[in-house]
Amino acid sequence: MGEENVPASIVQFAQLDKLLNLGRANSLWPMTFGLACCAIEMMCTGGSRFDISRFGAEVFRPSPRQSDVMIVAGTINKKLELAVKTLYDQMPEPKWVIAMGNCAICGGPFKVKENYNVVEGADKLFPVDVYIPGCPPRPEALLEGIMMLEEKITGKRRWPRVQPG
Amino acid sequence: MTVPVHLRHDETFVLNLGPQHPATHGVLRVKLTMDGEYIVKAEPVLGYIHRMHEKMAENGTFAQFMPNTARMDYLHALAFNHGWALVVERAAGIEVPERAEYIRVITVELNRIASHLLWWAAFLLDLGGFTPLLYAFDDREKIIDLLERVTGSRLTYCYLRFGGVYNDIDDEFIAGTRDFIKRLRGRMPRLYHDLVTHNIILIKRIKDIGFVTAEQCRRYGATGPVARGSGIDYDIRKNEPYSVYPEFDFDVPVFTEGDSMARYMVRMHEMEQSMRIIEQALDKLPGGPVMGKAPKVLKPEAGYYYSAVETARGSLGHRLVCNGDKNPYKLKLRSPTFSNLSLFGEVAEGMLLADALAFMGSLDLVIPEIDR
Amino acid sequence: MGLVEQTQAALAELFPEPALPAAPAGEGDQEAPPRQAGVVVTDAARHGSHLDVLCRPDQVVAVARVLDQDGYFLEAISGVDWLDKGQFEVIYDYNRLGGEHCRVTVRALVDRNEPAVPTISGVFPAADWHERETFDFYGIRFQDHPNLIRILLPEDADFHPLRKDYMP
Repeated sequence: MGEENVPASIVQFAQLDKLLNLGRANSLWPMTFGLACCAIEMMCTGGSRFDISRFGAEVFRPSPRQSDVMIVAGTINKKLELAVKTLYDQMPEPKWVIAMGNCAICGGPFKVKENYNVVEGADKLFPVDVYIPGCPPRPEALLEGIMMLEEKITGKRRWPRVQPG
Repeated sequence: MTVPVHLRHDETFVLNLGPQHPATHGVLRVKLTMDGEYIVKAEPVLGYIHRMHEKMAENGTFAQFMPNTARMDYLHALAFNHGWALVVERAAGIEVPERAEYIRVITVELNRIASHLLWWAAFLLDLGGFTPLLYAFDDREKIIDLLERVTGSRLTYCYLRFGGVYNDIDDEFIAGTRDFIKRLRGRMPRLYHDLVTHNIILIKRIKDIGFVTAEQCRRYGATGPVARGSGIDYDIRKNEPYSVYPEFDFDVPVFTEGDSMARYMVRMHEMEQSMRIIEQALDKLPGGPVMGKAPKVLKPEAGYYYSAVETARGSLGHRLVCNGDKNPYKLKLRSPTFSNLSLFGEVAEGMLLADALAFMGSLDLVIPEIDR
Repeated sequence: MGLVEQTQAALAELFPEPALPAAPAGEGDQEAPPRQAGVVVTDAARHGSHLDVLCRPDQVVAVARVLDQDGYFLEAISGVDWLDKGQFEVIYDYNRLGGEHCRVTVRALVDRNEPAVPTISGVFPAADWHERETFDFYGIRFQDHPNLIRILLPEDADFHPLRKDYMP
């Protein structure tokens, strides 16, 4: 989901689009889609120590029609995959998906020979924008994922990148 | 106790609660047949997070199953680790040194407090109050920091090994735990009890809601705070003692009313009792090794083994069948919430939908544990 | 009389033949003669249960009624697939809610090709969901069960995953 469909019109308001993107990036409203253990780390990110509210994303909407980003936190099942796909389809454009945790990236610890019930990754169902590895990822990792999504939306990153070492 | 209401079965409609719902604590779907706001029939549908743990146990070795135990009930993961370690140690005859047993008890009880804090926060979130979540998560972060020092993980611990624990605790952990207990005891009266427990809105919403009798608990196999809220004095740490629990002096809170308020009070008192156990364990902590002798490739004697531990939600059982091989032949996990939820269908009949959700919150459900 | 002896006596009425010591799982026919049906006392510290009852499938309801009258609760129902012997085993675990502790394990062996066991959900409503799960995983049919449909797998799944000869 890298490109945006720019409507074909004679007059293009590039500055307005940039402003809209800035607004969208700084007020990403996630949908509460905590399925398993990663959901608890998502709740911790919403708590006061890690405070996702600094990034404008503390309003977890239960309804997909009111949300921008679906944070898939947990394992997707064969029984659940139709419901997940329906929820994704119900979200209005522009929408993004963050795959949080190993289960949402590739099936995680359940990608085994005898796997009969786990869908190996959220990207088997719909396009994913940001992958956050971890089992479960730390709340700081989820915040970094949100910052990367903001960079993807606006093209610029407003917070310094952490250098290793 | 059901509300006496004239239910017209020909004018009912089916309402689907979940699987994506803010108040179902995971992916639980409940098929509700409703007459207006009253529930005529409630039927939980499970399986939306079934992750094949029992099949994975059969295809891997005993040690390879330890990470799976934490993913089932991630809120009290150390107790699930403990149950698995206990059944394999019984089957293989492995001795655990005393210091390791004390460390196990301290970390499991800290995890129990963290689990009850999160239950409290989520329960009040279901009822519409957001602020208690912030207070509870603040205290919970302190526990998680302490446990992260020794175990390395924040949520899904894989800390116990067959024969002990893999990392010793240091003085900073001990001092930090004592500070935390003092802090939580100081915050409890004002922030937890004055703000929430004595709050008239909470009392009106959960008092006399969702009566569960002791006979219903026995017929459905409900254990843990659900049974203790209905007058049954059953705690595996006292009735079927394991590890070093007999050495500690603690009470088992039992309330006889059987409504959601009783289950709420049981859990609040359990947090205080866990703090008592931790203090006694820290005072009596012996020296010595933290890991006993265990063979590299574990092949327990063939037979049928069972172990039960008390988790924050009830009695967790591991039914293990070995046949002398290095893999378990069959492992059945007896999940406490599976049995607790099975009485939802009978108790929710005739309730208002909002009351049924308050009742479900008081049952303390963690769905991945039900679905395994 | 202690609780274990009391329960043993109550159950022994259902099994008039004497019982031999229990055969270990998986090694029954080679080492010791196969055990007759009956009630055997086991080492609770090692195995977790005090009494081990091996019965025929048609006796499980009678055993459940005896234990229900004595105040036990159903803790778990598990299935085991003995592929090389061509049998399924259904293990029922009963325990006491409070008071003195006694765990009773009841085991019943059924033929693997036509596995059918009477349901005990009339005696213990807890068995409703446990038997559905055992049916879901192994395909063991519980006769007269009020609602024997799958519980954990999707409703339209056509396999029983925990059978030893199943690999996706």
